[in-house]
Amino acid sequence: MIRRIWTKMRALAAFAGMIPKLFLAYRLWVWMDFFVRIFSLTVFYYFWNAVYAGGGDIRGLSLAQTLNYILLAQILSPLVQSRLPMVMGRLVREGDVGIELLRPVDFQSRWYAECMGVSATMIVIQIPLVIIACVCFEMHLPSDPRVWAVFAVTVWLGQAVVFLFDWMFSCLVFYTTEVWGLWVLREGVAAFFSGALVPLQFMPEWLERICRAMPFAQALYVPVSILSGIAPVSDAPRLWLIQIAWIVGLGILSRTFFGVAIRKVTVQGG
Amino acid sequence: MRILRYCRLYREFLLQRFKILMEYRINFLIGAASTLVLQAASLLTVWVVMRQVPNLKGWTFDEILLIYGLVTLARSIPHMFADNLWTMGGQYIRTGGFDRFLVRPINPLFHLLADRFCHDGLGNFLVGAVLVAKSSAAVGIHWTPFLAVYLIAAVISGAAIFFALQLMTSVSAFWIMESVPVTQMVFNLHEFARYPLTIYPKVVSTLLTWVIPFGFASFYPACFLLGRPAGILPWLGPITAAILLAVSYRVWLFGLRHYASTGS
Amino acid sequence: MPVIEVVNLSKKFRTNRKEPGIAGAVKALFRPVVQETAAVDGVRFTVEPGEVVGYIGVNGAGKSTTIKMLTGILEPTAGMVRVLGRDPHRQRVDNAREIGVVFGQRSQLWWDLAFIESLNLISKIYEIDPGRYRELLDQFCGMLDLGDLLRVPIRSMSLGQKMRAELTAALIHEPRIVYLDEPTIGLDLIVKERIREFIREQNKRNGTTVFLTTHDLGDIEKLCRRVIIIDAGRIIYDGPLTTIQERFGRYRTITFETAGFAATISLPPGVETAPQNPEDRKLILKFDRTKTTASKVASAVMDQIDVVDFSLAEPDLSSVVRQIYNGALKENVPP
Repeated sequence: MIRRIWTKMRALAAFAGMIPKLFLAYRLWVWMDFFVRIFSLTVFYYFWNAVYAGGGDIRGLSLAQTLNYILLAQILSPLVQSRLPMVMGRLVREGDVGIELLRPVDFQSRWYAECMGVSATMIVIQIPLVIIACVCFEMHLPSDPRVWAVFAVTVWLGQAVVFLFDWMFSCLVFYTTEVWGLWVLREGVAAFFSGALVPLQFMPEWLERICRAMPFAQALYVPVSILSGIAPVSDAPRLWLIQIAWIVGLGILSRTFFGVAIRKVTVQGG
Repeated sequence: MRILRYCRLYREFLLQRFKILMEYRINFLIGAASTLVLQAASLLTVWVVMRQVPNLKGWTFDEILLIYGLVTLARSIPHMFADNLWTMGGQYIRTGGFDRFLVRPINPLFHLLADRFCHDGLGNFLVGAVLVAKSSAAVGIHWTPFLAVYLIAAVISGAAIFFALQLMTSVSAFWIMESVPVTQMVFNLHEFARYPLTIYPKVVSTLLTWVIPFGFASFYPACFLLGRPAGILPWLGPITAAILLAVSYRVWLFGLRHYASTGS
Repeated sequence: MPVIEVVNLSKKFRTNRKEPGIAGAVKALFRPVVQETAAVDGVRFTVEPGEVVGYIGVNGAGKSTTIKMLTGILEPTAGMVRVLGRDPHRQRVDNAREIGVVFGQRSQLWWDLAFIESLNLISKIYEIDPGRYRELLDQFCGMLDLGDLLRVPIRSMSLGQKMRAELTAALIHEPRIVYLDEPTIGLDLIVKERIREFIREQNKRNGTTVFLTTHDLGDIEKLCRRVIIIDAGRIIYDGPLTTIQERFGRYRTITFETAGFAATISLPPGVETAPQNPEDRKLILKFDRTKTTASKVASAVMDQIDVVDFSLAEPDLSSVVRQIYNGALKENVPP
């Protein structure tokens, strides 16, 4: 039994391990991403400085706190981006879904492993940005290891939430060929409602409620609040419970949706 | 005479493109809506923040919306008519599809651009137009024929600046088969131009004025429309656009020559 | 006066050689290893109006590069190309009006458009007179049986339908020269026949010059009287098809599946064993058609060992080219 799980894990790890190599192959893309992100960090930095030019706290947050939150949220914003709709779109368009389903590894688990690989690589790639933000934009990182531990767990759980949501969302590509538009749509919604652009505290109540009703904040706002010191470590158990509830709910939904959507392919014969 | 011919030809391309779009009506709506959502996300951000403070270093919410609307309008035009520059590398050069432009008796750049009118840009155009209309009403701009002509000239110059920068950077596809990384790097600088350039340090505003001149697509025309002092700069948009267009077409020709010598 | 004139034409490519792996990629970033290869190396030929020329060679021999230079897509590194008296690269637009091009593997048409819409667009691009356009369209519809295809978008066409569509699109402006890069690749026999017939008809009726690359000897046999063979960027043969047929037709291989392991057997004259895998229960023989026949070889072998089955291989183009290449180097064909 243990052996079997071990071989399964090794197979999944192999899929996850391929991702960093792919990234290196696209080194130009990495450079581009790096510069583009520095631009937006700069825009945000000066924008928020201008917002606070009048002095004082806004909504209980000081300039330093807000900046810390926003810079971290911007740096970690790839956590709520996903290429799953695009990948699924390609698989459906080229009729490869059938082949994928034949592989001896569970389709969803396999993609979960890959997406975790992507996220882990993403976080590692952000290190230069973190350094730049600390040096140029007065960002502060916590020194308490407990904060980092809690952060790590919330990131991991939050990633699962977003992954499961994307899995559900990607099922739409079985019904439309306009994958690009769907993807842009999702990225736009995710960018705002994850709290990547503005802290949830700034929002009017109705907007904040929408944010909390969407899965994206679980993957960005929650971990970044912990890391930037807006949310105390003692909040962790409550946050984790909420995240786990999300995972269970979306887990069931995503499997159901996929089951329905895949029938469309099997009936049509690809 | 030649321009007339190309105009007629463009109309033909456009007609065919709309036939395709109408065939995929849902895609058409998703595409146009997707940009609306992206814009809505950024606009909501500005709105959420500006609710909390009276102004941004002296610029009110409505004034910022005017700047934002101008840059969105300018950008939407190349988004509609020149979006193929983004996909040139992956879609045409890597696949060898670019060759067909070179065996036809028309300008390959024209062929590339005309090949795909991008409906996603319609969403941006709409957002930009609404923003400019609403914000200019809110700040009490009194529209005269002169101001209207100025606005149109400013938007066209802005569009030309966007287009020229995209053209210049897309040429990288002739070398590396992919134009997106380089184009994106330059293109994303336009995010600076969504806000008054005065909130940035001198380096940034200089960069956005003289090097990657997105400032002429939003901030300087807005200054003029709002009657804020900006010296001669609000008048330099068209000249900057013309120079940039000429340079970018040279760069494009240079890229084409490279393609002809390597065929990669 | 020739329609195509090629003198000492060369095309060199510089490629960055990359070692595999991450270390190689990093190394290439700092010190790229540049390699210069000549895809086309001093080629010289002329084509007269109305000729149908088969331009053949193995993959990577330089066929496509030549066609790209003839059509004006690529600029030669050295040498001269004249098509209808023009430099096809420098006078690209003027040249483009007079030529038609079909790249067998890539579509020239709009993927999502109905075929007729694509054609209409092309008629506008080439400024074809509307009356003449309708006339030609009727004519082509008859010859290629396009009637039902006109409303179909390219993306939903079969390979054969697509190729008929491509040919129509490449010829609708009545070009004086057509370049066909593997026009029958992957098609079934009936479609191949129809396409060959159409090409021949165009050539006969309008005097269209046809420059054709292919891997299919059938295309050559049915269409071309003249063949140019290119290998490693150089022309190794330029002459009538009949000469080649005599040469390459000389050697053929025959493969026997044997019941047991093949023992050593005595072979009739003009037959030799080809290299074979000892683990297969197969005996592969090569014989000279001028000295013996397939049936003689077969009966000789079957007299000596138990044969389950045997098959006779048709000579493929790569082996033809190789044979001719070898033959060009040595006067005496290897025993």
